[in-house]
Amino acid sequence: MPGIAIGGRYAAPQVAGGVLIAACLVLFPLVASSYQLSTLIVSMVFLLPAIGLNLILGYTGMLSLAQMGFFGVGGYTSALIAMHFGTPFWLNFVAACLVPALLAAPLAIPALRLRHTSFVMCTIAFVFIIESVSKNWVGLTRGDMGLSSVPRPRIGLWSDGFIVHTTVQYYYLGLLLCALAVAALVAIVRSPAGRYMIAIREDEILAASVGGRTWHYRLAAFVLSAAFAGAGGSYYVHYVTVISPTVFDPSYTNTVLVVVLGGGVGTIAGPILGSVVFVALSEALRIAPELRMVVYGLVLTTSVFAFPKGLIAPLTSALRGAVQPKARGPHDR
Amino acid sequence: MTAETQAALSLRGVRKSFGPVIAVAGIDLDIAAGKICGLIGPNGSGKSTLFDCCTGLVRPTAGQVLAGTTDITGWEMARIAREERLLRSFQKAVVFRALTAEENLILAGQMTAFRSLAATFSLGPLAHRRVQALRARAGELLERVGLAHMRHSKAGEMSFGQQKLLQFASMLMPEPRTILLDEPFAGINPVLIERIVENIRAVNREQGVTFVIVEHNIDVLSDLSHRLVVLSRGSILADGNPEDVIRDPRVVEAYLAG
Repeated sequence: MPGIAIGGRYAAPQVAGGVLIAACLVLFPLVASSYQLSTLIVSMVFLLPAIGLNLILGYTGMLSLAQMGFFGVGGYTSALIAMHFGTPFWLNFVAACLVPALLAAPLAIPALRLRHTSFVMCTIAFVFIIESVSKNWVGLTRGDMGLSSVPRPRIGLWSDGFIVHTTVQYYYLGLLLCALAVAALVAIVRSPAGRYMIAIREDEILAASVGGRTWHYRLAAFVLSAAFAGAGGSYYVHYVTVISPTVFDPSYTNTVLVVVLGGGVGTIAGPILGSVVFVALSEALRIAPELRMVVYGLVLTTSVFAFPKGLIAPLTSALRGAVQPKARGPHDR
Repeated sequence: MTAETQAALSLRGVRKSFGPVIAVAGIDLDIAAGKICGLIGPNGSGKSTLFDCCTGLVRPTAGQVLAGTTDITGWEMARIAREERLLRSFQKAVVFRALTAEENLILAGQMTAFRSLAATFSLGPLAHRRVQALRARAGELLERVGLAHMRHSKAGEMSFGQQKLLQFASMLMPEPRTILLDEPFAGINPVLIERIVENIRAVNREQGVTFVIVEHNIDVLSDLSHRLVVLSRGSILADGNPEDVIRDPRVVEAYLAG
């Protein structure tokens, strides 16, 4: 895959590029306006479920449209725990990862019997079910009214701590969470299990012939992708401080798809770039509300024609050209 | 050596039908451990289905499959590969195209290096050392099949013949007991055929790996095999010494009659 060689080390220019971009992101608040920062916060909200979609679609080869369903479950979980128990953010966040993952496991058992389009349909159905529960379990979710006055993230071990409230603080919180999520994705896809997942994407029967427990790895990819989505929901709900069933609107699922496919599916950097470019573009186009979706659609179409493997592909090949062949030696990892 | 007399793979009345079509019509066969057995027959004679039954890709309608003395009937393919080291190749799906040659081999070796599901998720120093050991072994095997120079090439960018060599090398990664090859020489040039033949002979001789080979190239196969089994319409038509089998009038007729 472009962007990552499993089991191989990153070439020096790749590392240097990564460090440079990370430094820019860390220093960005020094020069950016509050509006620009909030746009990037929205990018990061979408990046977290997109990382999950990238794992299941890009590395395991299954298209799941349930990401925003799990995002919503994570958001509700995080909000409810914080509202009822006054828990610190880290605990809300962990619960927001765990609950969607635990919900995904039983849903996966029937879904994983299906392949291709039937599997996709099944994941769409999950979102309908989750949305319906969120609307009708009024005692818990307050139905269509949704939850409001969700506490802002409290950074502390248990009962006290610092409350995140400025845009800059939210930005750094998002950066930290996204860094953790990217590190988790890298760890998963570089592990032996990740190698089996890629094998499943390439050819499931061939993957089984080399001893891969294909069902288990498909399950793992589905459950882990739900956890990434839940992480996004947690960050989101403590940022906007409200959540309602509108979070399950298909347009958000579309955005996650655009971020992953437009950025570069099956690469680490692709969805990161996709989240910045496509979410920022969508925000920037708010200056012309009537034309916004027309222009967005045209840009998206053009980008798909120009870069069918995602925006990251030309950057990766440029880097590879700079690295020279044989950059990877025999004793790398 | 009891290996001489023991069967690596035994079929007991194996039948497989797809609806009204009988692909394998009750086959009894013992493949002696440490031997190379060729399996020929016209198209549609049930060779590939027999492989599918042996390796868990399809479940036989009736009968039993044994690897050594273990009844593996109804096991999943991945379990048969992991626990019995009974491996197979496919005619078309040959290698993982997006992975490099080296990664293809490491993947194939993971079944021995990481036995449990949980172990495969680990990235600790122990897992790292195991992967490094697989990487070293992959290097040796690539050397052995003459693909050392393509170690970091994407398998999808290799020629079909090179992919078949890579596939063969990847089957050697997990220390196999029995290897079933489905048309290993189809669609590749004579030089590479010779290279694969040499490797099969060497692996069989040095490591005692049992081979069952389905192949249409009868000349190469009868030269390579210790025994030749001919299938026709899902049943065994002839079985024995390769020179005798290819002269058997029934075999000649089955082939000419197509």
